[in-house]
Amino acid sequence: VKKPPPPNLMPETLLQQLSGTALDLDRLQEVVRAYAPIFEEISRLKDLDLKTTHPAVIFEPTAPYRVSAR
Amino acid sequence: VSNTELHWASISELRRRLDLGEFSSVELTQHLLARIADHDQQIRSFIHISDDALEQARISDRRRRLTGVVRLLEGIPVALKDNYLTSDMPTTAGTTAPGITFPMEDSACAERLRAAGAILLGKTRTHEFAWGTITPPVANPWDITRIPGGSSGGSGAAVAAGFIPMSMGSDTGGSIRIPASFCGVVGLKPTFGRLSRHGIVPHSWSLDHPGPLTRTVEDAALVMNSLAGYDARDPACQDQPVPDFTRSLRGGVRGLRVGVIDNHFMDRNSPDVQACIEARLCDLQRQGARLTHFTMPILDYGLAAIYAIELASSGAFHDRWIAEGRTAHFQPEVRALVEMGRLVSAVDYLKAEQVRSVMAQEFKKLFDKVDVIVTPTEPLTAWKSGQSSVSINGHEESVLGASWRLTYPFNLTGLPAISVPCGFDREGMPIGLQIAARPFDEQSVLRCATSIERANAPMARPSWLTTTA
Repeated sequence: VKKPPPPNLMPETLLQQLSGTALDLDRLQEVVRAYAPIFEEISRLKDLDLKTTHPAVIFEPTAPYRVSAR
Repeated sequence: VSNTELHWASISELRRRLDLGEFSSVELTQHLLARIADHDQQIRSFIHISDDALEQARISDRRRRLTGVVRLLEGIPVALKDNYLTSDMPTTAGTTAPGITFPMEDSACAERLRAAGAILLGKTRTHEFAWGTITPPVANPWDITRIPGGSSGGSGAAVAAGFIPMSMGSDTGGSIRIPASFCGVVGLKPTFGRLSRHGIVPHSWSLDHPGPLTRTVEDAALVMNSLAGYDARDPACQDQPVPDFTRSLRGGVRGLRVGVIDNHFMDRNSPDVQACIEARLCDLQRQGARLTHFTMPILDYGLAAIYAIELASSGAFHDRWIAEGRTAHFQPEVRALVEMGRLVSAVDYLKAEQVRSVMAQEFKKLFDKVDVIVTPTEPLTAWKSGQSSVSINGHEESVLGASWRLTYPFNLTGLPAISVPCGFDREGMPIGLQIAARPFDEQSVLRCATSIERANAPMARPSWLTTTA
């Protein structure tokens, strides 16, 4: 199976800074190459207009106060 | 009492026979330990055997004798996947990376199993950090040249091999149901929030589900009776009423409304799997269930959503270890998946969470019309070890892509889902059927699964493991 080329994201040094990754540039390049097909899949999310949809993440301020009998 | 009967017996049968005094928990535990010693060098399902399993069994026998108190799983040996913390056995989460250790304390599920009287016999192998569906070096008991599935591959193989009647698994994108399907056992992923995840090494906080792998649907219900209930230590655990899960087993499927989603679940399966599932749907119809077909276009975005959520979450969990260079010692594929977490943008992560909301709404609309959804668990049966891709109807697909395609929608939506054995392909490998229902309606899942199980009884066992004690 032919490996897909790395996605044309941005120069690795900039990517390193923006993502905050601790990986060195050589390793980052390898990871970006492995990420290419997944990146392509995730990019499909851009097709969706979901501005009226609340994400499935809800902040619950009462969480630290919850108790249960163990 | 023949030994052969003993290791294939269900939990409910073992309970009955322990109650009758046919054998003691010590004898049962000794028998299973001997069987593991004889056969697990070929399967490699266990990573650790408890030093005090026999002592736990002695205490259980003494308690039964002196007090007459018989708890739900009194004297029954069980196992846990190696990502559940235990106070008396080490936890590795499948990693050998230096400098990574986990506390010696009981997870909530270990606590509840002990409180129910179970004997914690050992820990089963997991794919490293539950990030994969192959679980090396575990072999599939039906054909040891094939993978058992994963990430709870050790649990699936141990239950299928007759080493243990129940082993706990965890399921982030299908990791209970995939090995259940490939190994021909029952795997239940309850509703997100039904069981406490406290003390399970996290993979992806909003996707991880604990659940049992068993040889019968009734055993899954029995284990649920001992595990379900609120635990404030798990922020996602919900304070919901806990039913007697075994009561739903007697209902039959007459009048049950069964949904079939034609896109995504029924359009890219191997011919053997497709034929088997269609035959089981006909069985359900003959037994009085009413079938309705649907399509759900949002499923087309499910893979993007679970990738974004799972990669970002796992990247956050492992972030410190990445900075310390510890992930360099992970298996190469796991290392890459963990290290790419920071490449997922926050915007894409939140869009993935929006897709999840839409998907939950779409399933809700569907459940206004049906009680359960039936799908194949896997689009194919277990493949040979060492393959990085599989071919389904001439289309090449990565092994990860193929193995979690039909299971991850129920992690994204948190809905209860089970895999129940429903037949074999032409090479004699098991096929699993998946049933999902509304949140906290495990009872409908179990009810439908019982009908499938009864229609296929008695379940065959791997032949090379049935001829020996």
